[in-house]
Amino acid sequence: MEKRVRFHWSLSQAGDTFRRAKSTIDQSGLLNFEAQIALCQRAQECGIDSMLMAIGFTRPDPLLLSVMLGQKTKKINFMVAVRPGLISPTLFVQQINTLSCLIDGRVHVNIVNGRSPQELRYYGDFLNHDERFKRTEEFLAICNAFWAKEGDVNFSGKYYHIENGKINTPFVSPQRSKPEIFLGGNSALAAELAGKYADCLWRFPEAPEKLKPQIQTVLEQGQEVGLLVSLITRPTQEEAEAAAQALVGKFGDKTREVVEEVYKQSDSEGFQSVFTLSGKEQFPWVTPYLWTGAVPYLGPPAIALVGSYENIAKAISDYKAIGITQYLFMGWPDIEEMTHLAKGVMPLLAKQK
Amino acid sequence: MTNTSTKNNKPLKFHWRLLQGGEGTGITRALQHEVQQTALPDVKAQQEFCKSAESSGIESLLVDFSYGKPDPLLLATALALQTEKAKFMIAVRSGLLSPTLFVQQVNTFSALTSGNRISLNVVAGYSPQEQRYYGDFLSHDERYARTEEFLAICNSFWNKNEAVNYEGKYFKIEDGRLNTPFLSKESSRPYIFIGGGSLLARDLAIKQGDCWIRFADTPENLVSSIEPVLKAGKEVGLRLSVIARATKKEAVNAAKALVENLDDVGTKDIKNKEENFVNKSDSVSIKEMYENSEKEWLSDNLWAGAVRTHGSPLIALVGTPEEIASEFIRYKKIGVTQFILLGWPKLEEMINFGKNIIPLIRKMENH
Repeated sequence: MEKRVRFHWSLSQAGDTFRRAKSTIDQSGLLNFEAQIALCQRAQECGIDSMLMAIGFTRPDPLLLSVMLGQKTKKINFMVAVRPGLISPTLFVQQINTLSCLIDGRVHVNIVNGRSPQELRYYGDFLNHDERFKRTEEFLAICNAFWAKEGDVNFSGKYYHIENGKINTPFVSPQRSKPEIFLGGNSALAAELAGKYADCLWRFPEAPEKLKPQIQTVLEQGQEVGLLVSLITRPTQEEAEAAAQALVGKFGDKTREVVEEVYKQSDSEGFQSVFTLSGKEQFPWVTPYLWTGAVPYLGPPAIALVGSYENIAKAISDYKAIGITQYLFMGWPDIEEMTHLAKGVMPLLAKQK
Repeated sequence: MTNTSTKNNKPLKFHWRLLQGGEGTGITRALQHEVQQTALPDVKAQQEFCKSAESSGIESLLVDFSYGKPDPLLLATALALQTEKAKFMIAVRSGLLSPTLFVQQVNTFSALTSGNRISLNVVAGYSPQEQRYYGDFLSHDERYARTEEFLAICNSFWNKNEAVNYEGKYFKIEDGRLNTPFLSKESSRPYIFIGGGSLLARDLAIKQGDCWIRFADTPENLVSSIEPVLKAGKEVGLRLSVIARATKKEAVNAAKALVENLDDVGTKDIKNKEENFVNKSDSVSIKEMYENSEKEWLSDNLWAGAVRTHGSPLIALVGTPEEIASEFIRYKKIGVTQFILLGWPKLEEMINFGKNIIPLIRKMENH
């Protein structure tokens, strides 16, 4: 079945222009709520499907924040991130279902394994990378059993044991009986897990021909694949490249140190692979539109699609040809970039059909 | 005793249990768990309830936790954003999430709503069966031990401006940090009620809480049990219902009608269900309350006649506004300072309480 291309946007630090350029400990956990509301409302007008509500010790809790932003919007969905090790799957389903009742079912779930063992220990989680994936698998099996509503949930695994589990508050949405589940990860474990329990696997981008064999199995199982990527698009190629260079120029060696630190602490395969891609700094272009020039300054999520409206539309259609149907974008700054996407790129994509 | 009565001159605080979605005038506890009725939030009706509480002089609204209801923190967030001043007392059970994540959720609530509008009602859970729905297989006493660790960690996050390190039997936290602070002008953390009738609950209140909450009994029976808490400088609160009418006779009739009206659904059936619930529970206070309610009247106004059908929160003060106000003053004299109340019918009784009983209590307090 032909799947529509959908765009999601990271809310993360709306109102903070130095996003990802500050050491995490220095970041304020008090965000600019007005800026966040403005970004969500603009995203809604731009036809963005959902806002990614990230999770981490530097941020407010994504579920509670979604209640507030959901009250200020009508259409946009909230993709709530969860780290399975921090909460009982039963309580998590209860919280997600409650959120769905409060904001008309505008809820997706983004499962993340966590990329910094150090940060996970802040929360009392001491498992290693592969164990975390195994636990996530159990977590998702239990959540899906609750959402399937086929009677009491019984599960006995290595990490969780649920006996006759019941939750009365249902997932309430005009379209679905359970939230759409996204799962991030570049490792083989992530792909396998997405195949079993998720609707869409998030990947960091590579050149389409390189990516194609890696996502084949997931696509054949009927799941979607999406890209986690930043966006820099302008009316012309020159303007886009100039904007990309200006971004790098804004950040200095200090932010490089911050990013080096993130790299050292991470046990995420996705992060490692993007760092490797961006290793050869004199050639930051992986393809004519995939640029890693900002990665040393802003980290792996700054791997970016850079180009004119036309070239970005072309890139999206190249990726569509290998089966990529969803995008999770970030921009510097977000509102402007989102507007370029909506005004410049989306009309071209509509014409391609 | 003189010690507590002289220093205890702060006005009594009254909290009320939030109306749950679809609950209407009130259903029995046994039924509440069986029907889907309370499963959905009814934000509009609940918002109205909160506004009535605000204007009735109610300090905060207790938001229950159970598998049959929406998540209390999320529900309270939605309601707090739609009201001006209403405060929320959030029920929390320790075994279901990381203390770090819990502090993050509570702090986020404080950041989204201004004016210290959250407090916690920490409970250990009363049904081992229900705990297992959530993957929690610990025994009653172990749950208390875990709750103590949980609160010690939460309090460290709230009280210190440094990384949190903790190594206990149930939790281990290494260099724990959270950037979102608890945002309030008055306090660095939420006020903590500890609910439960056992000695373990009382000890926990003394060690990690601000106020011990238990089911009501007569003041005479409470004196010795609450003494250690008061001595430790913590507060004591009671959970009970209020059934007030213009005359004692009307009040007693209203109380009895609660049980008699069940006849169409079958009182016997409901009694069996409640008995079953109590038997399966490992809560000390729920079992004690059930035993004590063999006697219908514990004092002239303290009525246990519906405990065996409606559950232990229905230990009730029944009488005229004057009688009920005097009973609250009797509690105040032994050192009880807070109350979590429940009414039947829920909304009307709360409005009546704010209009007719609180003013009498304030007058007697100033006397």
